[in-house]
Amino acid sequence: MFRPGGYLYSFDPGGIRQESDTFSCAHCNRIVIVRPKCDPADLGGMCRLCVKMICPACVDIGFCDPFEKKLEREEKSYHRRKILGL
Amino acid sequence: MAKYGITNGSTSGGGTQQPTTAAYTGAILGLSSSTTTARRFKIYDVLIGTNGTPADNFIEWDISRITASSTTTVLAATALDSADATALTVATVNSSTFGTITSGSNVFYIGVNQRASYRWVAAPGGELVAPATSSNGFQLRARSAAYTGTCTGTLNFEEQ
Repeated sequence: MFRPGGYLYSFDPGGIRQESDTFSCAHCNRIVIVRPKCDPADLGGMCRLCVKMICPACVDIGFCDPFEKKLEREEKSYHRRKILGL
Repeated sequence: MAKYGITNGSTSGGGTQQPTTAAYTGAILGLSSSTTTARRFKIYDVLIGTNGTPADNFIEWDISRITASSTTTVLAATALDSADATALTVATVNSSTFGTITSGSNVFYIGVNQRASYRWVAAPGGELVAPATSSNGFQLRARSAAYTGTCTGTLNFEEQ
């Protein structure tokens, strides 16, 4: 995979080491394991708005909601609650 | 940005490793933002395995988001650079409960042979990120239909 978001190592019984690339969904942060020679459609897809790889569940949602924006919303809400003493 | 590591090994004060059951009942490791000084943290390295009697069973591993951490043993994560300050992120280990899991929020899920061990390493930008929000974070859990022994885990993370 070109510019993977992570790497997975499996140390199996018998000393066999398996390796896979992974990427983190740009919308929900889920780790998607890229199996060798798998169908690209099974991996999810590319969001054409944020131009990043997304997982199959986020492909089905059908709109762009970047994970960074979700974090910012969560943090803003937390700070509002904190200021209000809730 | 300071980096830290936490394991559920037999560290002094780390509680007792919990048996694996058919459903997720306990949690191996948990990380959550502090309730007083919340700070974003990023998990960039996950190592998982078992330390029971070897056999051919499968174990399902899961990392999910939490909005409240479990109430059991809290350990201070070890700074990977001893010059760094103590971690603000709260680490819970060997817990018989797993706090409040956000529904449908599992960010890592994999089935592994009991004899195998796994390691996931994030490339820069591919980390699991938790918001700087009180008690929000991640929980590492395992379940197995056949294996009833204990599991081991290590999480490395960095604080922003």
